[in-house]
Amino acid sequence: MTIITTSQLTKIYGSGPTAVTALDRVSLSVEPGEFVAIMGPSGCGKSTLLHLIGGLDKASGGSIAVDGHNLNDLGDDELTELRRRKMGFVFQFYNLIPVMTAAENAALPVTLDGVRPAEAQKKAAEWLERFGLGERLNHRPDQLSGGQQQRVAIARALVAEPQLILADEPTGNLDTTSSDEIAGLLRQVSKEYGRAVVMVTHDPRIAAYADRIIFLKDGKVVEETILEKKSKTH
Amino acid sequence: MSIRHALLGLLAQKPRHGYELRAAFEAVVGGSEAWDVKPAQIYTTLDRLEEAGLVERHSDLGEGSEPARRVYALTEPGRAALHEWFAAAVEAQHQRDEFFVKLMVALFSGEAKPERIIQTQRVHLYKEMHAMTTLRDSYDPRCAMAQILLLDKAIMHLEADLRWMDITEMRIEAIKGQPFPEPEIRPRGRPRKGDTGSTFPPPGSVRSDQ
Repeated sequence: MTIITTSQLTKIYGSGPTAVTALDRVSLSVEPGEFVAIMGPSGCGKSTLLHLIGGLDKASGGSIAVDGHNLNDLGDDELTELRRRKMGFVFQFYNLIPVMTAAENAALPVTLDGVRPAEAQKKAAEWLERFGLGERLNHRPDQLSGGQQQRVAIARALVAEPQLILADEPTGNLDTTSSDEIAGLLRQVSKEYGRAVVMVTHDPRIAAYADRIIFLKDGKVVEETILEKKSKTH
Repeated sequence: MSIRHALLGLLAQKPRHGYELRAAFEAVVGGSEAWDVKPAQIYTTLDRLEEAGLVERHSDLGEGSEPARRVYALTEPGRAALHEWFAAAVEAQHQRDEFFVKLMVALFSGEAKPERIIQTQRVHLYKEMHAMTTLRDSYDPRCAMAQILLLDKAIMHLEADLRWMDITEMRIEAIKGQPFPEPEIRPRGRPRKGDTGSTFPPPGSVRSDQ
């Protein structure tokens, strides 16, 4: 069973002579626990692909299934629920809420899902402790380094225990050392905690942490490279 | 560079036997995979260093049943040579890049698609970088920082190669439109030592550091 399957996935922006094909009949699949990097030049469609997988945008053609749910068949509310429970998102600029502490930020997805704040923050604290932030639970984002803020964001992505993490240029705003830490952490999320991680990056150094790289160009898959055979850890 | 300065440095630490020097050298360069040095090379180098008066040889009566062995020690001129080496900068290595030559041959011969050649190489470099990244992260920074630094360097070079490949790929069309080097534009005679011997592409337009 795959966690993601796309078939002939197509996204066209605009219509008529000005239409732009951002994604052109992309068929791919991602296994549970796999760490996949999506690479390619600017405008190759890598962010579009991630947005479609994350249900943040609608496909123009083809299909996409996440954990067995065909996203085309879901209404807005169902899509929101699927996103909140089955996927975690990591962004380039962390997207933390400035007035909330690390624990409150990391707890947000489950708080929004109706879990009591105390219980939600306990779950969040467990992830933050695993990521070496046990001493910083009550720090606000502006009291944390970029690398620490991104670790809070990864804890937030995991707090609802989703099986899929989607990361859009997660190291794009970090220095080399912090970038390596975050890439290593995402690898740990895949290998140790068994979550599938799909990461868009333009940084070769960061892509090398993945099990597989999918190269996109002009909206098409030009190459898939297996860097490491899937290990039977789960 | 030769291994001579590394040997002088190891002898500055303490006098050592030849075989012990080889083991210490291997440890310092990051293992025999990183730099495989044959015992004969160690002894030839030690002979030359001794002739030059930079090291001196003593005989060591083996303990118990062990046979007598040659022990090498650093001399004062040897220490001076070591410090000269410390004081000077190391020349960057301008390696002969087989991939670059392959790409050029593909372009001017028309026998292979340059885009395909780049992709094949890119895939290979990513696999190598993944293996090195995994290996580096398996080392404990509290006791294996030397190995980590060496792998960092290798990873950063691979990263530079990959970035250069991205840029090159974007410029393929531009290269195709340019005339290729003809023999007559090369200077006559043997290229001077240190000259790369290449007039295309212009020096500085490609990665010059390895």
